[in-house]
Amino acid sequence: MTGWTFRAQNVNKSYDGGKTLANRDVSITIEPGEVYGLLGPNGAGKSTFVKQIIGMLAPDTGTITLGDYDLVADPDAARQLCSYLPQAPMPIDSFKTTEAIRLTGAIRGGDPPAIAARAESMIEALQIGEWRQILGAKLSGGVKRLVGFVMVTVVPGRVVILDEPTNDVDPLRRRLLWREVRRLGELGAAVFLVTHNVLEAEKAVDRLGIITDGRLIAEGTPSSLKVADRGQLRLQLMLVPGTSTPELPEMVDQPTRVGNNLVGVIPEEKAPDAIAWAQAQMALGIAEEYALGATTLEDVYIRLTGHTSAETEVVA
Amino acid sequence: MTALPAATRSGSGYWLASMVSMLRWQLTSLRLVFPVLLVVQVLIAAGFTVGIGLFFDEVPAPVALFLSTGASVITLITVGIVVAPQLIADEKASGTYDFTWSLPCPRSAAVAAWVVVNAVVAIPSMVAALAVGSWRYGLSFQVNWRVATAVALVLTCASLIGYALAHGIPNPNLTQILAQVFAFTIFGFTPINYPIDNLPGWLASLHRLLPFYHMGVVVRDGLTSGLVGEIAVSYLTLGAWTLIVGGITARALRQRR
Repeated sequence: MTGWTFRAQNVNKSYDGGKTLANRDVSITIEPGEVYGLLGPNGAGKSTFVKQIIGMLAPDTGTITLGDYDLVADPDAARQLCSYLPQAPMPIDSFKTTEAIRLTGAIRGGDPPAIAARAESMIEALQIGEWRQILGAKLSGGVKRLVGFVMVTVVPGRVVILDEPTNDVDPLRRRLLWREVRRLGELGAAVFLVTHNVLEAEKAVDRLGIITDGRLIAEGTPSSLKVADRGQLRLQLMLVPGTSTPELPEMVDQPTRVGNNLVGVIPEEKAPDAIAWAQAQMALGIAEEYALGATTLEDVYIRLTGHTSAETEVVA
Repeated sequence: MTALPAATRSGSGYWLASMVSMLRWQLTSLRLVFPVLLVVQVLIAAGFTVGIGLFFDEVPAPVALFLSTGASVITLITVGIVVAPQLIADEKASGTYDFTWSLPCPRSAAVAAWVVVNAVVAIPSMVAALAVGSWRYGLSFQVNWRVATAVALVLTCASLIGYALAHGIPNPNLTQILAQVFAFTIFGFTPINYPIDNLPGWLASLHRLLPFYHMGVVVRDGLTSGLVGEIAVSYLTLGAWTLIVGGITARALRQRR
């Protein structure tokens, strides 16, 4: 064994006899200990890609390897070496929390005392101890998601695939969850995070790729992806509910409105003009408040994909 | 310190441990529906034994024996071919199938665990059918050791058919419909609750090639004395079908879209 680098090369996957191209020439490498985020709008081909890693789907062409293991040719090895939290709900309605975690740990080949100890420390870390003995059917969606996270990582694989792990999770526990995701990296696992929650991913990942229409269109560290947006600022206007979008001055680029939240990007040197314009909107009773700040990954994401992230919709 | 896997596991110890863990997983998964499932199966088995007897004023002992043993076989088959695929189709429809499917367990160990789960549901219903038969018609069964082999073979074959059906067909709705078709075909057009000679010649010939009639023969052979003949042919046919269906199941489990 020469190492545990995860390497997908030129993965192509189509559906409907080639009519729908879900993945086009996707190549991604993740080193052990690295947290990699794959961002993309709904239907971009994210889940299709991870299902090929775990052996649920087979690529049309391309290779997926983990160290010396060929995960496409050997789906049994893929299931043993990769942990997978699917986007879909976990089948734990009739399991108590600790039962579900320990049993999954046993199936993953863990040693019972070690499973029990790590389960306990993760339950504590995620603050879900009060639901230890509760049946899955009675858990809220967010807690169920966290239990699912502990189930798949109590005995972590070399690659840990997390498909939208924070769905339904409350803001406090999201933070705790991201800390645990970082810890998986510290253990030496290659963490493959799939999300459309851009802002949170920015804080949690070492590197990320942006996928749209099945193609990886950008890849790098969060800072390197923001390089192109240097010299620009993000202007955010909170509109008075019920008002229509005001006519925007030319300096505002990539304007998007989600709910009452209007966001755009402006050149740095236009900041005084932008502030004056925003204040005028407030004086006219169109806007309630405004903010001017550094551009975020969200702006990069919108520029590259033409989509807003789900998080923006939630915030609005 | 939590250790990451150093290599993949393999060998008989791994297989057995996986099978036991998957069995615990599957039994716990069914915990909430298990009592209902068991009651329904027992009622169906008892209903068949008593219900069909109501067609007659007086049920002669050989007919009663045929009915009771037939109901016990039908319950074994329906759990494997009708109930089990519906449970898996439910998992697919609710989206929870992905996680179960991704668990690191040899597929053959998961199948073996599923056969045992089917046995846990089916065997009490089978015993209920016989107990009701004994109570209603005053029957006494002459159970011999071959009953264990027969029940194991019937359960394995039926469970494999159901498993292939549920996993091989991507659309869970289609699986549900096929399971219903199987249920009615087995209840109505399969010579388990009535002698095969009562069928038209062509249908009887067809059933001598299919596994269901032979399932009835081998179980009856284990429960009675002198009620059925040509046991060897039935065991051979059923054994061959189990191998064929095993191959189909293995293929269905290997297939990736």
